[in-house]
Amino acid sequence: MTTREIIERAFFLDILRGLALTLKMFFKRSVTRQYPDEKRPPEPGFRGLHALARKGDGTARCVGCGLCVAVCPSQCIHLYTTDGPNHEKIVERYEIEVLKCLFCSLCVEACPFQAVVLTEQYECADFTKDALYMTRDRLLTNWDNYMTEDKGKVYFDHFWKPKNSDFSSPDNQAGSDPETVR
Amino acid sequence: MITVTIDGMQVVLQKPVTILEAARQLGIVIPTLCNHESLEPYGGCRLCLVEIEKTPRLQTACTQYVDDGMVIYTGSQAVIEARRSVLEFLLINHPLDCPVCDKAGQCELQDAVAKYGAPAGRFIEDKRNVPENFEDPLIVRNMQRCISCARCIRMCDGVQGASAICMVNRSGKTRVEPFSGGRFDCEYCGNCLTVCPVGALLSKDNRHAYRPWMIDNTVTSVCPFCGVGCCLNIQIRDNAIVRVVPQGSGVGKSLLCNRGRFGCDVVKSSNRLTSPLIRTGEGLRNVTWDEAIGFVVERLVGIKQRYGGTTIGGIASGRCSNEDNYAFQKFFRSALDSNNIDSAAGLSYGPVRRFLEGAIGRACAANDMERISRSRAVLVIGEDPTSVNPVLGLQIRAASRKGIPVITIGHMPGLRLYQAIKLTARPSAETILLRALVSALKTSTEPAGSNSVLDDALRSVRHVSLKEAESMCGISQRRLDEAIVALVGAKDVSIIIGTHLVRREDGHLNLLMIACLAYLLQGRIFIMSESPNDYGLFDMGCHPYALLGAMPSRTGLGVMEMIDAAVSGGLKALYVMGDDIFSVLPDKEHVKAALSALQLLVVQDSFLTETAGMADVVLPVPFWAEQEGSFTNLESKTRQFGKALQGPGKEGWRIISEISKGLGYYMNYNDAAQVRAEIESTASLQKVGADDERARILCAPSELDYQPHEDDGKIVALVDFPLLGQSPEYGCSPTLKLVTREPYVRLGTTLAGHLSIEDGDEVSVSSDMGTLRLHAVIDADLPGSTVMIPRSTGDKGILTLMKWRMNQVTKCPVFDKTEVVISKIPGNQEP
Repeated sequence: MTTREIIERAFFLDILRGLALTLKMFFKRSVTRQYPDEKRPPEPGFRGLHALARKGDGTARCVGCGLCVAVCPSQCIHLYTTDGPNHEKIVERYEIEVLKCLFCSLCVEACPFQAVVLTEQYECADFTKDALYMTRDRLLTNWDNYMTEDKGKVYFDHFWKPKNSDFSSPDNQAGSDPETVR
Repeated sequence: MITVTIDGMQVVLQKPVTILEAARQLGIVIPTLCNHESLEPYGGCRLCLVEIEKTPRLQTACTQYVDDGMVIYTGSQAVIEARRSVLEFLLINHPLDCPVCDKAGQCELQDAVAKYGAPAGRFIEDKRNVPENFEDPLIVRNMQRCISCARCIRMCDGVQGASAICMVNRSGKTRVEPFSGGRFDCEYCGNCLTVCPVGALLSKDNRHAYRPWMIDNTVTSVCPFCGVGCCLNIQIRDNAIVRVVPQGSGVGKSLLCNRGRFGCDVVKSSNRLTSPLIRTGEGLRNVTWDEAIGFVVERLVGIKQRYGGTTIGGIASGRCSNEDNYAFQKFFRSALDSNNIDSAAGLSYGPVRRFLEGAIGRACAANDMERISRSRAVLVIGEDPTSVNPVLGLQIRAASRKGIPVITIGHMPGLRLYQAIKLTARPSAETILLRALVSALKTSTEPAGSNSVLDDALRSVRHVSLKEAESMCGISQRRLDEAIVALVGAKDVSIIIGTHLVRREDGHLNLLMIACLAYLLQGRIFIMSESPNDYGLFDMGCHPYALLGAMPSRTGLGVMEMIDAAVSGGLKALYVMGDDIFSVLPDKEHVKAALSALQLLVVQDSFLTETAGMADVVLPVPFWAEQEGSFTNLESKTRQFGKALQGPGKEGWRIISEISKGLGYYMNYNDAAQVRAEIESTASLQKVGADDERARILCAPSELDYQPHEDDGKIVALVDFPLLGQSPEYGCSPTLKLVTREPYVRLGTTLAGHLSIEDGDEVSVSSDMGTLRLHAVIDADLPGSTVMIPRSTGDKGILTLMKWRMNQVTKCPVFDKTEVVISKIPGNQEP
């Protein structure tokens, strides 16, 4: 043991240094956010809880093409479609296991109708697993709750719409303005 | 030797092939749309254009054959641009509705555009608008998506031979339509669905139901609906069959028939059994497995001790796997000491197989089906192969298309356009016809081998001249002569035998004559079989005459003998596995009396059939796709099928081994593979070579004379085998029910004219046994005094009209001479 080490141990120099830091912080402004009293506003483009977008007439935009199912890396989307009374494609069940999801947003990118979206809602904690198994109805309710007013449109314009004009398609076809698509 | 350079790589070819094929050998992919492996080259889509040195224009790789020294480029700038333009042109009218199109993900156009297409289209004009057509119950036509590659038409015309669809209109308005207009009037093979590269022709039953990437599992299987046993893949999602597709290799290649493609939903039938049932005072009651098996064991032990094992009979089934049938016969022969094992196949397939193998040699029917289209002549005897074994029938059509003479004996509507020489005799005169053929061939050919039994038979058979045949069968001498010339000249003849020919009074003679024909012509024999495992059933020893691998055994009772014995009290217990015996046996009242007289009737089946409804104990088994097993098809190819779904019940062999354990005879199998291993080790004991004794039974000298047949003007009813008619699987499959024809009676033109009956009229057909109300179908090819009625389930089929006798030689029931009276029901009396 060197002399220096003996002195450090005898006079508790390490502890004094620590106390000096504590004292210094005592006079600084706090960085801890007092969640849940104080909520952090999400940045634009935040990838939170899922929702199924509605068209202007209130019906779901999703046509059941299944591209989100194909692209999902954690395979948490379950889609069941069937033939409707007028031979149209009907989405019987559209379910997302939120607990499996890794919020990568590939489903949003893959969707040709911008029907599946990630909202700004990040408070997903709950007491049961079932509460985080999103059925089609709950996903549509999420849209109503978290994508109010023009928020959806802003997101479409800035984040969800294909950016490159090469990817745009003629009218009345997948990928064009979602409001005009059947 | 042809040396070709493709993209700088050299390939040496033995014979000229197309550029496409040569490139494939080098591993170079050339995109195609109209080309398909099972179709002839067409060159319609222009996607496979390639550049050939010293040739001014691009050439289509699918039609251009290679030549020595050719230098080909498949990726030059010109080729890339040409492909891009071709795809851009195709997309002028092809809608971009991929998100709702069922083909997306398996669409060849989608793949081609993604890989070779332009990033954006330049056409701003409107696309053509053709509404989807939903008139057909099974197939949806969306002609907006059609790219006019004509694959479906080439499949329908050139392979299936149904010729039901064609191109209508011109240029941009071209589309595919059935000749019949909205609804297809075709064989519903669905092979057009297989070949359609886009979503223009799609199946209705799985419309909008799935995406290819949502399929959890694909199980290789064997079709359970007839003896051909086509290789198919079952696609599964969430323990349900999404669809069935051909494997593209193995039996059937990329072909399926209506039953194979659309019949798989029989698994979902509401008629399925889910738990064991025991009969109590008020009917069948659900019980546990232990209770049901305990009950069967207790009753079987009681009956065996009191009356002996020979009072117990078993009916196996060609619908069950080899494993089930093996365990079944082992249980009967070893645990119960009973040789009373037979099956529905024992009514006609059994005798044919047994005696032909006896006369010609074991495994004489083990021939490769694909050779039919490569033989020099095809002789079809009996019923229509295109409806009994549709994919086998396609081989005959393929042969005919190549100009190979097809000679048919019997009424075959499915080969109407494909038979070169049609020999349709009156039902009882068929034996004369066969004899006339044998007599004529005997003088003009020398059999290649030596077969003492058949040589004797040929010596002693009485000569029937063509003139005699003409007067008795009503077939002109000239036509008979043509047939003989075609057969004599050919050194390589395929003989396809329908098994119902033995159900005639002279059935054994018909069989002997067929054996003589096969011997004289050195023909390749194919025996048509209705159930998927008729061949395996007999190999497993599920018939009363021989053990596994045709080892001789003490003779037990055949199926009709068991029914008789049950009525007379000689049979106390019957164990029916996998078949509804009411749908195959004639004289329903007699069968009903027999089943009621039994002390114990055990039925082991997947469905609550009429037979199961009369049972004391019903044991549910999983249906085909729900268990593992193997079928042996009519070519003697044994192939395994995998378990695709979870189903109710226990496997047949497992139930049997549990019952057997109760009787003190242990069969310890844990899975189907163990049963298979035991079969394989035992089957090495198979007996080989011709069995003279069996053949000699057929040709007792007194039998070789014949009775002249006169046309006495009486109308005789025969069993018809409609492709879209009712059979057990049709009764249970909701999809097939949509295209099933109403029960009908098929009449010849002259008879119909005589009775003033028109097509579609309702008529009453009555025999001594009962009366049926059926719709009339007029068929110009049917001989005058014959009518044909399908054997359907329920009370509408021909079985309700039939009486039967035993043919003492073949031990199978004789169904002919069902004399009927037909009268038209006036329109105003219709309910």
